[in-house]
Amino acid sequence: DLELTPEDNRETAASAFEDPAAYKQFLAKLYAGFAISGQDGPAGDADLSGLDEGFSQYMRLYWMVQELTTDEAVIGWNDGTIKDLHNQNWTSGNEFIRTMYSRIMYQIAQSNEFLRQTETSVVEGRGVDAATQANIQVYRAEARFLRALSYWHALDLYGNPPFVTEQDPVGAFLPEQTNSAELFTYIESELLAIESELAAAGANEYGRADKAAAWMLLAKLYQNSEKYTGSDRSSDVITYTEKVINSGFTLVDDYQKLFLADNNMNGAQNEIIFPITFDGINTQAYGGMTFIIHAAVGGSMDPDNFGINGGWAGLRTTSALINDFLENEDDDIETVADERAIFYTDGQSKEISNISNFTDGYAVAKYKNVDVNGNAGSDPTGDFPDTDFPMFRLADAYLMYAEAVVRGGGGSESAAVDYINELRERAFNDDSNNISSSDLTLNFLLEERARELYWEAHRRTDLIRFGQFSDGGVWPFKGGVPQGTTTQSFRDLMPIPSSDLGVNTNLTQNPGY
Amino acid sequence: GNVTETATGLPVPGVNVIVQGTSNGTTTDFDGNYTISNVSNEDVLVFSFLGFVTQQVPFEGQSTIDITLDEDSATLDEVVLIGYGATSEQDATGAVEKISSETFNQGAVVAPEQLIAGKSAGVQITPGGGAPGQGGTIRIRGGSSLSASNDPLIVVDGVPLDQRGVAGSRNALNSINPNEIEDFTILKDAAATSIYGSRASNGVILITTKKGKKDSPFQFTYDLKTSIGNVLDKVDVLNADEFRNLINNTAGTDPSLLGNANTDWQDEIYETSVGAIHNFTATQGIGNFYYRLNFNHTAETGVIRKDYYERNAFNISLNQDLFDNSLKLTLTSKNSLDKNKFSNGGAIGSAVAFDPTQPIYDETLPFGGFFEFNRLSGGEITQQNLATRNPIALLEQTTDQNQTRRSITNLNAEYKVPFLTGLKAVVSAGFDYAEADGDKFTPVFAASNTSNIDQFEDYSNINRNLLLDTYLNYKTELGFFETDVDVTAGHSYQEFYSTSNVFGTEQDQIRALPRDINRNSLESYFARASFDINNRYLISGSIRADGSSRVSPDNRWGYFPAASIGWKIHNEEFLQGSRVLNELKLRGGYGETGNYEIGRNYGYLGLYTPSQGGARYQFGNEFIGTIRPEEYDEDLKWESLINYNAGIDFGLFDNRLSGSVDGYYRETKDLIATVPVPAGANLSDQLLTNVGTTVSKGIEIGLSGDIARSEDFNWTLGYNISFQELEITELSLGDDPNFFIPQGGISGGVGNNIQLWKEGFDPTTFFVFRQVYNDAGQPIEGAYVDVNGDNQITEADKQPYKKATPDYYMGLTNTMNYKDFDFSFTFRGSFGNYIYNNTQSANGFIEAGTNTPSDYYSNFNSNVLESGFVNSQFFSDYYLQAADFVKLDNVSIGYTIPGEKVDFRASLTATNVLTITDYDGLDPEVFGGIDNNFYPRSRRFVLGLNFAF
Repeated sequence: DLELTPEDNRETAASAFEDPAAYKQFLAKLYAGFAISGQDGPAGDADLSGLDEGFSQYMRLYWMVQELTTDEAVIGWNDGTIKDLHNQNWTSGNEFIRTMYSRIMYQIAQSNEFLRQTETSVVEGRGVDAATQANIQVYRAEARFLRALSYWHALDLYGNPPFVTEQDPVGAFLPEQTNSAELFTYIESELLAIESELAAAGANEYGRADKAAAWMLLAKLYQNSEKYTGSDRSSDVITYTEKVINSGFTLVDDYQKLFLADNNMNGAQNEIIFPITFDGINTQAYGGMTFIIHAAVGGSMDPDNFGINGGWAGLRTTSALINDFLENEDDDIETVADERAIFYTDGQSKEISNISNFTDGYAVAKYKNVDVNGNAGSDPTGDFPDTDFPMFRLADAYLMYAEAVVRGGGGSESAAVDYINELRERAFNDDSNNISSSDLTLNFLLEERARELYWEAHRRTDLIRFGQFSDGGVWPFKGGVPQGTTTQSFRDLMPIPSSDLGVNTNLTQNPGY
Repeated sequence: GNVTETATGLPVPGVNVIVQGTSNGTTTDFDGNYTISNVSNEDVLVFSFLGFVTQQVPFEGQSTIDITLDEDSATLDEVVLIGYGATSEQDATGAVEKISSETFNQGAVVAPEQLIAGKSAGVQITPGGGAPGQGGTIRIRGGSSLSASNDPLIVVDGVPLDQRGVAGSRNALNSINPNEIEDFTILKDAAATSIYGSRASNGVILITTKKGKKDSPFQFTYDLKTSIGNVLDKVDVLNADEFRNLINNTAGTDPSLLGNANTDWQDEIYETSVGAIHNFTATQGIGNFYYRLNFNHTAETGVIRKDYYERNAFNISLNQDLFDNSLKLTLTSKNSLDKNKFSNGGAIGSAVAFDPTQPIYDETLPFGGFFEFNRLSGGEITQQNLATRNPIALLEQTTDQNQTRRSITNLNAEYKVPFLTGLKAVVSAGFDYAEADGDKFTPVFAASNTSNIDQFEDYSNINRNLLLDTYLNYKTELGFFETDVDVTAGHSYQEFYSTSNVFGTEQDQIRALPRDINRNSLESYFARASFDINNRYLISGSIRADGSSRVSPDNRWGYFPAASIGWKIHNEEFLQGSRVLNELKLRGGYGETGNYEIGRNYGYLGLYTPSQGGARYQFGNEFIGTIRPEEYDEDLKWESLINYNAGIDFGLFDNRLSGSVDGYYRETKDLIATVPVPAGANLSDQLLTNVGTTVSKGIEIGLSGDIARSEDFNWTLGYNISFQELEITELSLGDDPNFFIPQGGISGGVGNNIQLWKEGFDPTTFFVFRQVYNDAGQPIEGAYVDVNGDNQITEADKQPYKKATPDYYMGLTNTMNYKDFDFSFTFRGSFGNYIYNNTQSANGFIEAGTNTPSDYYSNFNSNVLESGFVNSQFFSDYYLQAADFVKLDNVSIGYTIPGEKVDFRASLTATNVLTITDYDGLDPEVFGGIDNNFYPRSRRFVLGLNFAF
């Protein structure tokens, strides 16, 4: 018999959806695509095969390209071209840039497949009951949100990525290349189209996207619109950040709580608009929070304080971020009143002489796998943290609102000042460091964003928006020299990976590469 | 006088009759008659004819001397298998080589493929590491694929084995007892292999096992081989004093982390291996029933502590001829029980990297008595998580063992159809069943166990392969042009089934993985016709149609034709009677084959895989398991290979010097490779698909010379040399000449690759920076040739450079007999191959030992003292080293005492005797060309005793 189909737990498309629960499991895969690297947690059945599974995880790569390329982070390892990210001398062959691109397009392709499998006609053909069909409509909206999120990453990083939707087949065809302006319009239209179908802000299950997540993504899109399309959309930023701000989210009382193992229940969940969730037992990967927490621990840091079984001794920060917290560069960071300055300096030098040495550069102790009481997370082996990654949170919406006001998008300046002061009062525990409207400048906002949001994977996008990423802005080891140097502006966009240019003749490389 | 053949009584025309020591001679006429004059008393008449034993008769005045000549079995035209049938060596038109047991490599051979290493041009057998029972890698003409298998199809007594091997086994061929192998027939070109269709692109090896003989007396043989082995060399690392010195003199280090011991970790993990192979064999032929029974017990320890291999094999071969020999039944059954204990392979790397100033044991630590790098956690001592592990603890504290039961059994019935002479029907039913059970265990206190419970894994696998072949063969002679015709046509069905089960721990949890089941089937029709016209011109053609369940119904069936011709020039009139040239044959062939080992069974289907373990996602308070649609290629099909081959076979001076020369050109199309798929177009970043082309070409020369040929003294030298070249000519859907796919992962940093696939290059080509050296010849750290001239060194400056495969390789075999002594040896050589010395690059720089994730240091490769590198220079061609070698694989001397009741033979063999190379590392012969964590091959001495009753 030559007609054979799997006899183990693998299913064909026809048999997989006999159980209506499969739709939610497939939706869970789309969310898990940001957190887990494959079908066997923590590793063993990878989604992508072009790079080591742990390295290929979405949030790990996104964090690396958004942080290692900036003043906020360096890494000491010898993995391939990893150091080129901070040196800003990456090429189109860089495997991390390539795998980020692959991961984003993978996520999009998976979402497309979900949308194909949940077309009304397909679902009806399988005899799915009405209640499930109603659920599937919400799932579809969430799938489109997740796809829009990935397309936004593609837009922000690569500018002109290939473009595929559920209208395309699955095969080895050559997708067409889109451009920033068209992609911007597409993402905007998608988010506007699903706005009404998503659950109300705060009304969905924890971990799933709701209207506020879509608004936040729209606001992000508009905030950087000048870079994507050449036209300023600050007024739209005001519109959508207002929607977010007014939809019931509240700041958690203690900044540190946002980055702890119990940040899904210690109050931080009321500030976090859209998390990527991790769990020490159920959601395991060698990327994501596992990477961010383990890799940041080394030197004389006690892994017990981070709820982990050992550090990977990789990530630190440069003096440029430290200096954002200091009035004078010679001040001691340990004496700074700003509670957001969560650094580890014992045995570490502020300045870096050798990036490979963990003790060169202050360590960042912001993320931990311990709860508010200092107890380690649920994984008894200390490998995998419970800490969720705060992809979007209210504080960011405040800062975005304020920036849009300064950029002339309308809104209320006093509200903007109030929002900033809410953040600063939380940081300093009193109003002694509050600002007034005269302090509300773009320069201040860029620094404040660093202080509030460092290591939350916003930095590269922020620096580009402020013209400080490539030909402006200098920080240690930028351009590969210890004192730092500017680089060419074409580096505001990442290269289309040479591997994809090699197979997809429809693609043209971004300028400069 | 008259000359006739002993066996048939028929006259032999053309026999040379000469008076010894003179030029006085004649030949027999068509009726075998001859006349010779001018012969004196005490002259000796010599009667010689190709294929017959030369006879000498003293002349004593007879007027008539009638002679009967015996066929010379040594030069008898040998039968060679060609798949679903046989031909004679004279009539073979493809590149086919038979290697019989007489010329096998000597020694305590456990892995059957080692019997023929170095024996055949175009066949490269790279032994695996030195683990007991370890299999090697066989490449015929270098293989033809990239991602799909490059292993040849192996057919044992008519049963094609599953090319994927047997899970849990060190070597899928180990179930075949080397002692019981009669011969290997290697089919190299497509004209010979295409009868095996979609599985034949990498060549085919037919293994025939020994059978009993008709009407033979009972014979019992006991054969013993005992061996001891030792490693020859260790990786050059710093000793404790050198290490202390280097740490003390490196700024920023903390010498208080050093210990007070002097431990040579490599000395500690290696030991002397011992082994014994027993074979008990009984054969007998009782009338038309004949049998051979063999029991084998092999036991061998490794040169690394705790490594052990054991084989218990029972081979049965039963033959029964019925109905006046018109029905022949053959049952062959190879049954084995393998037991393995695997030592923890991580110990090799740990022994190279572990701090030599630390002791092996420390009873004060909670790691089962062993020293380990540790830290305090919550007041308790725990292991440092990413630290190097004590290699001895790794060996002593991990258990990893399995048992494999296997039976390869085949029942063959051959029936001569009574109503048509020359027609026979053959039915062959076979199965290959293997069952493996294994377990692994690491106790909770072992430092390598970072969880809070004992770690274990129990696994079991079943591989089953069922075969049913039926074919008809018809041989006849046509009246015109004296044409012999040999036609075969048949059908074959084979099904492969495998299943595996794993139950064990994942960190602190115990879990059962879902059972994995794979089934695929192959249905085939085949036909072949061969014509031998006037005993001069050979024409042969074959076709096979294969249908596979692995391929979508749209292109399920593949057709694999072949045609070949031969010209037996020595049978032409003008060469008749030539004293110099007794054989000369030209061959030429064309064929198409496929490669069906595409790695997956359902590659053309879109599948959904549920998630396992910690791969759930939180929705509210629930964690939801996920399902993932897999990437797929609806059009996935086998690779197809076209192959041209031309060859010449010759024999000179009564075959004292014989040989063949073959040249080939091969093109693999629809290459199966895991390649980047256009982003967004499929459901993963890489896809197993048909893309690209490779071209390979080569020349193979095999020579055999009988330097001495007499009753007391025989000396034969065999030599072969193979030149080969493989190049990727197309690799992607696009046409970007700079496109490449990184290959060849190395140790030291994740995701680091040192090789690439690129159009225009061999698939094992390295991809490196060109190191810059100072005037003193020292490498300048971080200084590389700025190839693109942009004033910075980025990966755009890496260059494809050198390759792991040789340009040419050779083998030299010596066999010598003097009276009851025999002496043999085998040399092998390989030239133009390079190795990336990963042991140097991963541990040969200061930061490798000092910049560790926590409070410990790790040892250096001694190369650090030469290079002086501070930071890693993984991609420097400094580490790319020429690995040409000549090896004396084995030397053997034997002595046979024929007795009245017992024949006795003793032999002494040394294996892996000598390696001549410039390569710095342990062994220049590392398959794939990346030298890292290599299990060293031992030098072994083998004593063999053989008693035949």
